[in-house]
Amino acid sequence: MSLELRGLTKRFGAVTAVDNVSLTLGAGETVALLGPSGCGKSTLLRLVAGLERPDAGRLLLAGQDVTAVPPQRRDVGMVFQTYALFPHLDVAGNVAFGMVEDRVPAAERAARVTELLALVGLAGLGSRRVDRLSGGQQQRVALARALAPDPGMLLLDEPLSNLDEQLRQALKGELARLLGALGKRALYVTHDQSEAFALADRVALMRAGRIVQVGAGEELLERPVSGWAARFLGHENVFDAAPAGVLTSGRTGAVGAALFRADLAQLLPLQDAADVGVDARAMHTQAGEALTVDAQVAAAQRDGLGWRLLLDVPTWGVTVVWRGFDRELAAVGTPQPGLRLRLAAPPEAWRELPGEQHGDQHGDQQDNRQGKHVKETGRHGS
Amino acid sequence: MRLRARSNAADDHNPGPPNPNRPKFGLAKPALPNPLAHVAGGAATLYLAAFLLVPLGVILARGLAPEGEPAGAALWNTLSDPYYLGRIWFTLGQALLSTLLTVALGLPTALLFARYRFPGKRALTAAFTIPFVMPTVVAGIGFMALAGPRGVLGVDLRNSLAIVLAAHVFYNFAVVARLVASFLERVAPQLEEAAATLGAGRWRTLWRVTLPLAMPATLAAAVLTFIFCFTSFGVILILAPAARFATLEIEIYNLTARLLQLDAAAVLVLVQLVLVLGAASLYTRLQERLAVPVAPGAAERAPTAGTKVLIGADLLLAGGLILAPLVALLVQAFTSPAGAFPSFANFTNLLSVQPTLSFPGLWRALGNSLTFATLSTGVALLVGFAFAYAVARGGWRVLDQASLLPLATSPITLAFGYLLTFPLLVTTFWGIPLAHALLAFPFVARTLLPALRSMPRQQLEAAALLGAGPARTLWRVELPLLRTALLTAAAFAFAISMGEFGATLLLVRPEYATLPVAIYDRLGRPGAVNYGQALALAAVLMLLTALVMLILQRRGRSEF
Repeated sequence: MSLELRGLTKRFGAVTAVDNVSLTLGAGETVALLGPSGCGKSTLLRLVAGLERPDAGRLLLAGQDVTAVPPQRRDVGMVFQTYALFPHLDVAGNVAFGMVEDRVPAAERAARVTELLALVGLAGLGSRRVDRLSGGQQQRVALARALAPDPGMLLLDEPLSNLDEQLRQALKGELARLLGALGKRALYVTHDQSEAFALADRVALMRAGRIVQVGAGEELLERPVSGWAARFLGHENVFDAAPAGVLTSGRTGAVGAALFRADLAQLLPLQDAADVGVDARAMHTQAGEALTVDAQVAAAQRDGLGWRLLLDVPTWGVTVVWRGFDRELAAVGTPQPGLRLRLAAPPEAWRELPGEQHGDQHGDQQDNRQGKHVKETGRHGS
Repeated sequence: MRLRARSNAADDHNPGPPNPNRPKFGLAKPALPNPLAHVAGGAATLYLAAFLLVPLGVILARGLAPEGEPAGAALWNTLSDPYYLGRIWFTLGQALLSTLLTVALGLPTALLFARYRFPGKRALTAAFTIPFVMPTVVAGIGFMALAGPRGVLGVDLRNSLAIVLAAHVFYNFAVVARLVASFLERVAPQLEEAAATLGAGRWRTLWRVTLPLAMPATLAAAVLTFIFCFTSFGVILILAPAARFATLEIEIYNLTARLLQLDAAAVLVLVQLVLVLGAASLYTRLQERLAVPVAPGAAERAPTAGTKVLIGADLLLAGGLILAPLVALLVQAFTSPAGAFPSFANFTNLLSVQPTLSFPGLWRALGNSLTFATLSTGVALLVGFAFAYAVARGGWRVLDQASLLPLATSPITLAFGYLLTFPLLVTTFWGIPLAHALLAFPFVARTLLPALRSMPRQQLEAAALLGAGPARTLWRVELPLLRTALLTAAAFAFAISMGEFGATLLLVRPEYATLPVAIYDRLGRPGAVNYGQALALAAVLMLLTALVMLILQRRGRSEF
């Protein structure tokens, strides 16, 4: 059984909330819809749930067109952002709600409620009033309630966003474990990329009603499809045009945006005066060889255990952000504004960002030339 | 609200979704020590003691132990009399039946209004509040004009249970529809969506989610309706004057004003007070349960074809019931005694008739009504504000709980208490405005109290830090912020006084006749000319009340 979205479009008046979105979910797969608020991710989820009718496009569940099927006959479970627990029912009543609709016999229902409450860690709280639960407990009840009728697919609408930070971290791990163990297809809406990467097999990045990129978390981080995507995912060294053109392909002239992976670069001490002021074109040595440019520390900030340096690179005409630890700075000395050093950047540190594509994307179509030899040091800022 | 506070204290995790409608500070602890609030509390207590508790106490003493009789004798004699027992059962029965019918009509309307958008909804919502502020006399005459002996429908339903029930539904329909609809509008639509994703269709969701959620609000509205119908006076006096339709309220009036059997009247007042107080305390209990999780979201949706039919049918029925008597009243007011339409004959007759002391003309009745309404609005605002201020800023919880009593005190009970307690005051001009003020008091207090409570505590604290004491804060911060609430409360009080009938009838002296009294007086006189003048007067009163309602409509929010 698979879920297929084909060109789904939803307009509210003049606003196109969901714009020609196509996406396919494989069996047991969890996909996160990630994007800033107002990007249409919740609307897309509501379209899948059947709570909204699309203006165009089709929705196929297990090969069957369910575009016109009302939510109560769709075989999907949903966890709402506000949980939407029924205040007139106790915890067990909430969890059993869907099974009553499915005419599950009372004894079986009770057994399943007990089983589910144990699963979400609320054993023994069945007769508790829902307004006597903490936020985290309410969230678990909402999850148990959605799971109870054993739906073919689970929809989660920012289920952790109403919780405080500590609880969110704890529940994030728990939810990831549960989703993995259940092996259920799930669509997870969030604006928090750490949630998306922790919980989902694939992440669909949304912007202005469109899916701009789909792929595993690593792919998205390493090969963001556009400047916007790179910045949204937390990359700090995203530049427009020129330097990227110079450094990635040897061509001059503008391309789209370019991403510089400072974590792949190396900081070198200044050797002698001869190194200073080399013309940019002179740095085109042999293919695959690291380029070395002058840099000057514009600002140095302690960032937890490491450093965050702003490096002016006159040759490229930009300021890049470099993150790293003391040991990587051992050769160049204590970072302070004005310190001059050299920055050695391998060709793969530069990446052209081709721009956003639309329609169905599976991320794996790009060649994998850069491989996976990525140092982990540079990414803790994201 | 109290429940929520307790659950917060009970667990240290963070609570569920925040409720923007819920005040974020406790009620019991005032923000800052506020001597002014205690002065206000003292004043409100004194007023309620003098003009409510003492009269009620006098009735109690009279009913339980009348002078020259053994204690309890009157109570026993009255309660063992099958006639009075019959009156009690009839009063209960008609009130229950009226309530049932009102809910049966009001609940579907509330559901449709809370969940669907359709053209003309705002105008219809406004129209539905018309009966809410219509004086009982106008409602009574409206139904007379519709289905009375000279009614436009041509069937004479006077002295039938049907017309009594119809009038009660007309009167209370808006209470149910408004209260339940405004509650449902606050209930998060996600609850119904959640039901849908769990497999419940439209009707199953209605049955398993929406109706249970609406239950406390519906019951609260039903109890309020029950109280109004239980103490029904004006409409029954006009539409079904036969003895078999007399409610306790009418019986008390008859015993007091006509038969002078004050002991028996006192006993019946006690019986009525106990029953109504029971219902009123049930009402406040239910109101406490009206706190539900609310979440932002578009609750309104476009109706489907089937729903459109339902909405149409509902509007036709409810709208017809509400508009028919009012339209009938206007049509007949502009029909001459000879039958010509349109004609101003009734109005010219009204103006040309020579008023005597016992036969008030338009100008005297209008003048009296406006004077009494102005005075009683002033008193009710003053005392109502003192009450609300003491409860919200001084933590006078006792007063808050005592506010049930004025709500449960019927007009006839109050007037009867004044007659017994202040026989001299009642002969003066002040008896009527004081009674009106007390009857308007609970409405004023219930309008001002939530407005005062919803003011953020930080605003008051900021004012204090900027150097303003309680009095200056009241003057420079609270009163300006309360302007709309005060206006709403004033409109309420004014409309209540303009339309008040029962207490006025019992306390009135001929020279102080108000519009409702003058209308009732003309109805009691023979002939088409007098009937026509009653209609003309009722049209004037209706117009005045509609004006007040327009003010209410603009910013109508209170705890009712």
